[in-house]
Amino acid sequence: MVLIPAYVPSEFISMYLPAIYAGLIVGFIGSMAIAMRREEIHILILTDLIGLAMIFIVSAVGTDLAEALILPGLVVELAETLAISEILISREMHKIDANPKANLTKSTSLFPQPFALDMEIMTTAPNFIALVLIAYGIFLTGFTGGAVAGGGIVLYALSKKARGLPVLVIDGLAGVSGISWCLWIIGFVLFFVSPNLWVLSLFLAACGLLLKVASKVGLIGLLMREDIDKE
Amino acid sequence: MDFVTLGGDLLGTIPLGDIVLYLTPLNLFLFAVMLVFTLLIAISKTETQVEATFNKLSNTNVKVGKSEFKQRRFLAVICGIATAGAMITGDLFNFTLFMALIGILNIGIVSAVKQTSVLNSAYQYGLIAMMCSLPLFGGASIILASTGTLSLAVLSQMSASPMVVFGAVLMLLGILGESGVAPFFASKAEMFRTPGSPFIVIIHLSSLFIIVRAVEILLLVLW
Repeated sequence: MVLIPAYVPSEFISMYLPAIYAGLIVGFIGSMAIAMRREEIHILILTDLIGLAMIFIVSAVGTDLAEALILPGLVVELAETLAISEILISREMHKIDANPKANLTKSTSLFPQPFALDMEIMTTAPNFIALVLIAYGIFLTGFTGGAVAGGGIVLYALSKKARGLPVLVIDGLAGVSGISWCLWIIGFVLFFVSPNLWVLSLFLAACGLLLKVASKVGLIGLLMREDIDKE
Repeated sequence: MDFVTLGGDLLGTIPLGDIVLYLTPLNLFLFAVMLVFTLLIAISKTETQVEATFNKLSNTNVKVGKSEFKQRRFLAVICGIATAGAMITGDLFNFTLFMALIGILNIGIVSAVKQTSVLNSAYQYGLIAMMCSLPLFGGASIILASTGTLSLAVLSQMSASPMVVFGAVLMLLGILGESGVAPFFASKAEMFRTPGSPFIVIIHLSSLFIIVRAVEILLLVLW
């Protein structure tokens, strides 16, 4: 039974086994690194490395079906990392609550020190660069464009040092994210219901994704600035 | 192995494009039981643990707060629905996704408890679950690569090549770690030692059900 179409170059086919081996070896190295005794936060980061090796193996298949499998895999990995880090943080909180002085004797790497970014270049150049990035992101559209435009928003947010962001801005960004998600879903459904409107649905999906990723990355940037500006 | 041999008479299929859900008495029974348990959990109240106080005659009540109760009930219901979905799905990758979702929800259910030891074991279980997502998803993708399909109805008709066997073994490893049985139970057993019984029980129940279904799926793929 031949499953691979004839027009696929033989180089791509021969890449499959090395990719699987690479994934398994990366996973093995990650497990060995976890087995060596380290701090728990390091173990969490190394576990994420094994998650990336999983992406290697799934993406080695290289069909569009496999591409559809990578995204949920990535989301699952991210959700697990978030859940475990939440567990870790709440456990440390309980430990500190139970014995506040225990934290003072040895240093923990869990909560990084707040620091101020006080540089000339952070206030002058980024406005222009952010503008260029956002314009380029809108030109690109889709997932990549959203990431580029979001990077622009992050840069802008990092460069401005205003404290105490109004709630309206954060809520507004989240609202834009939600509306664009609806756009994406509508475009996706339209694609199935009436395929002859594919241009419209493609643009709906692309613009929705652009707005969504951009607003989300921007939101991360805004929250990060709130953290960084903490004195 | 044909799924009629394992699950009884074929009652019907629900074709959703490439993904074909098939209904056999075994699947439907597991699905219905899981939904009934989920319903029971959704309407039940949490227990209060009564502990004897050391050196005194009085008892100590270990209660669960209102917000913690709500969060746990929500996550437990979602966990029940995910398990029911894993019971009825006819797609290999959907099964692995439901499995990973159950793993996350199990961590989420105990994430708000106050006992440090429970949080510690939840953390250890989370690490194991995350590491086992490599063999779980990797095995499913190797089966996809060597057969070209993820539909169980098609997979059950194919004979297993060595690569499929390798993928199935990897998947078994992933399922064992993700549901916290056999070699990995030590990290999960301690997670139950907290008040809030009906919601904690779903952690146990989901892994029991998922093991039954995983055995069926592995038999379908291998024979």
